[in-house]
Amino acid sequence: MADDDYWNTSETKTKAFSFDDDVLTPQEILAIGQKSYPGQSENVFTSTVSNAKTTLLPLSSLVSSKVLDLILLAQSGKDPKDKPEPEQTVAVTLKRLVLGRSFLLHTHRSLKSKTELLDGAVAIGDGNAILTVVLFLIQTLNKKLVYELLSSRPLALNHYISFLQTEGKITDLTDLLTMPGRSPEAAVHQFQHIVKTQGNSVEGLLRKLNNLLSNHFNQPGVDTHQTKMVTDYVKLLEWQKCANKTELNNKSTLHCLSYCCTHHWNEGAGNMMSPLTLCQRQQVTPLQYDWVVLNVHANSNKWDIVESLFTKKDWLGRTTVSSHIPMETLLSRLSELSASKQMLATCLNKIHNSEDRLRLAQKYKVHSVVIESLAKQKDRSTLTNYKMTLNPQSEEYILADNTLRDASIKWKN
Amino acid sequence: MDQPLSLKLASLSQISQHKLEKILDQCGDKADLIIDPSLIKPLERICGVSWLRQHGIEKIYKMDPQLGTTANIIRVYLIPASIKKYKCVLDQISSVLSQNPSLADAKCFNIIIAPKVISTFDSILENRGLYDVVKLHSFSWELMYLDDQLLSLELPFIYKQLFVEQNHSLLSSISMSLWSLFHVTGRPKCILSLGKLSASVLDILEVYNESYSRDFISSESSQDIGALIVMDRDQDYASSLLTPATYSGLLSEIFDISCGHLEVNGNDTKLKRGKLNFTTTAGNPGKNTVITLDSSLDNLYGEIKHRHFSEVLSVLSSKAKLLKNEDIKALGIKEMKEFVATKLQQVTLFKQNLVNHVLVSETIISEMNNKFENLTFTESEMLNNRNKKSNFTYIDENFGTDIHIYNSLRLMCLLSLTQGLSYEEYNTLVSKYLIAFGYRFLYVFNNLITAGLLVQPSSPKLSLSNLGNLSERLPRWQNEFQTVANKLKQLPSKSDDGKSPSYVFNGGYVPLVAVICNALLTSEALVDVLSKLSALSDLKVGGTVIEKLKDGMETLNEKLSNLNLQNDLEFGCRDAKSILKTLKADKLGGFSLKPKTILVYVIGGVTYAEIAACDVIQANTGSRIIIASDCIASGCDLMAANT
Repeated sequence: MADDDYWNTSETKTKAFSFDDDVLTPQEILAIGQKSYPGQSENVFTSTVSNAKTTLLPLSSLVSSKVLDLILLAQSGKDPKDKPEPEQTVAVTLKRLVLGRSFLLHTHRSLKSKTELLDGAVAIGDGNAILTVVLFLIQTLNKKLVYELLSSRPLALNHYISFLQTEGKITDLTDLLTMPGRSPEAAVHQFQHIVKTQGNSVEGLLRKLNNLLSNHFNQPGVDTHQTKMVTDYVKLLEWQKCANKTELNNKSTLHCLSYCCTHHWNEGAGNMMSPLTLCQRQQVTPLQYDWVVLNVHANSNKWDIVESLFTKKDWLGRTTVSSHIPMETLLSRLSELSASKQMLATCLNKIHNSEDRLRLAQKYKVHSVVIESLAKQKDRSTLTNYKMTLNPQSEEYILADNTLRDASIKWKN
Repeated sequence: MDQPLSLKLASLSQISQHKLEKILDQCGDKADLIIDPSLIKPLERICGVSWLRQHGIEKIYKMDPQLGTTANIIRVYLIPASIKKYKCVLDQISSVLSQNPSLADAKCFNIIIAPKVISTFDSILENRGLYDVVKLHSFSWELMYLDDQLLSLELPFIYKQLFVEQNHSLLSSISMSLWSLFHVTGRPKCILSLGKLSASVLDILEVYNESYSRDFISSESSQDIGALIVMDRDQDYASSLLTPATYSGLLSEIFDISCGHLEVNGNDTKLKRGKLNFTTTAGNPGKNTVITLDSSLDNLYGEIKHRHFSEVLSVLSSKAKLLKNEDIKALGIKEMKEFVATKLQQVTLFKQNLVNHVLVSETIISEMNNKFENLTFTESEMLNNRNKKSNFTYIDENFGTDIHIYNSLRLMCLLSLTQGLSYEEYNTLVSKYLIAFGYRFLYVFNNLITAGLLVQPSSPKLSLSNLGNLSERLPRWQNEFQTVANKLKQLPSKSDDGKSPSYVFNGGYVPLVAVICNALLTSEALVDVLSKLSALSDLKVGGTVIEKLKDGMETLNEKLSNLNLQNDLEFGCRDAKSILKTLKADKLGGFSLKPKTILVYVIGGVTYAEIAACDVIQANTGSRIIIASDCIASGCDLMAANT
């Protein structure tokens, strides 16, 4: 933001950011803060910072040495030296698991003992213990039994799913999720795995996603909108395959659209690289289309195109007189993109509510509209005050002056 | 041993340092430290480079998969507990071994994992044939004292693991951090827990207590903390999703903060980074500044951190005026000498802080100014379940225009939790998001649903087959969110006495932690606290306050043998509803609480707004509230963890 803009914005703005009048401007504060004193050197700060650090208590006055040993013992997960190895009951094993000590799971051979281990781990809630027990069950029981145990213990099941996912064991995961009602979840897990492992390879993604669509996203229970999104993904990848530009590979629809707007703006509908073709293909909403066009062309200073956007036929063939972008948002963006005051004025004049128009004109400092609105409201005193804020001899100042002297206006004050 | 509590908490780093020392002792002399970049800042809070040199570290490298040969044979890796990073280190070790097989017997590979080695790490090691070749060490550093009354483990990946991946492997690290802390401060008499994870943390804490009980210092020796509140992040998502109005809250919305250090990278901000980029030119990488957010080093920050942002510039301005009056020109030679000797450093530092705060405030204004009012207005409409249609329109427009990869999702989640989204509305937003950022983000919405941030509306076709759902489709006067929030008085009415903690969200909402603290601090007895908080369904109670209610002491062994699947373990804490019933039936209620100091521990990241809200409560009640968490996370960070 330009320096001189800064304080003015905060003055006009909302009550959330209002400041007292006798408050120094940030520039004034900075000027005071940055004035140097004799003897000041550049590296003063770092030394002051370290000097200012409080002296810490010595360890010995924080905890006794006995306790300190205990804390170290707990971190290491080792056994206290004096303790004999107790018998391997379920409770003892679980406790050792939680404490991170070495453990022997193989002594638990009966299904009862295994089930108790699992239930105990789930009850304590330590994920490390839960996962260790689940993996032990997988090793020592057949899959059908394990899946039965897991299906009634969601916490344990989640840990196993999370493990299979981070390990990339996607086949096992799909196998696990063939349980009733879980297939939509399996489809999404597979999807996530594919997009995280295929990188930006369009060919690879297309192959895998097509496979996924026909094998998993057509299952009953899978949300139809999700399936549509994956189908649209495939469509976009096919477009990218044809476009054959490395910089567009696996980029988003709007990213591709902004590329088309920059490089293929004049290509007509039907042409593959035309922005209109891409919009139709990927069902970009008119709002999103307008937003991209506005930003792309304003950023490259093609304001003529931006202007024509307000009065042109959109890609559906409808004649529009205004943008799909709501006026307030449009104004805010235009102002950020430093559009001309004239353009801002054109937009403002489309706002029918006079109070809104005046408020926004003041916010974005479109003086001509402010003056005109105040004249329409016949509010002489506000206009007189406003004139004082303008730069004398400026065009706006003269306009305000002339308006105030206009004999045809019947001022209310 | 009776030192001020703040000094004790700041000194916890000494225990961390001692823990690291013992690990390095086992790694041998003349070693190279290879550190994951994300752990550099936390490590700096525990020890310096010269300390590392004194303890056998010769060279320090940043972990990089392409790292070649290093100066010494002995390698000490320091990484966070992430399977991906762990495997990357193992790959590197394998490739070193393939070039020099004799190293296998040299016992020269060490991996230190923060906060702990989980048992799958062990089996991966064995699986790769590296058992006994590589030694794994757990490094469970203590809570770090980032700022006055603010403690953090600085493990920012915990939220993602616990809530998104539903992997609770590191939960015991939270228990351990509390267990160590209580050796220094003494155990709190009263413990409240809210949420399943919190209950588990207390159960695991009890396992630690039981296992090491014979050596625990007697609870009378130190009583610094009267009560402990542990809460799961998902019990109050609104406090993460809402836009904060405080200075520190807004800082965390816009800048990256890690370990209490705020980084300013030229013009780059979190807000800009998350938006669609339509320019081809990369922004110029401006000057880098680091600001330390610690009131003990920067009084000015201490003064403004919890202020509503609208007040910040006037405070800064008045400070500048004071400085101006202290103009040096007015001083004589003698005074000048004295000034240089005593006050110059202080004044210079103060000026630097002043300049930094003004610069970041300017950034906040330029980034938020145009949007702040509409945004906070819409948020407050959502909270109070008003004008759902125009709230949706606001969000829909945001998704169609100035969409942000994280903050837009945040608005969607807030609307979903407070007023709900229909199937069509939900899908409209999903489509727009995916068109903007790429269809590959489809899984993000499933993550948000898993984490409880988003409620998936059922497809209308499916719900027609289920008549029970008909009532859900009718407009409702109040949603569950408002029902609970109203019972707990979290939604203030317009007439505000100026002392309400709701100012942290521009008067719209009181964070749940502040409500619970207030209930604890303003009640005579436990029965009052539990009655006030009866709207909370996952509340549990632990500590010595309920010891008299226990039917004798039960060990873990006994608990487990009486376990049945439907019930929780209730080892470290017990269901509040049944306790309330017992207390009322026996006309007990007489457990006097009156804690002077409360420790609040949020599992899954606390926000600066919540910290500020608790500050109001402590000022109103003349008590002290210490906040702890695994990290300080803004709503933006929460969303990032779901992608």
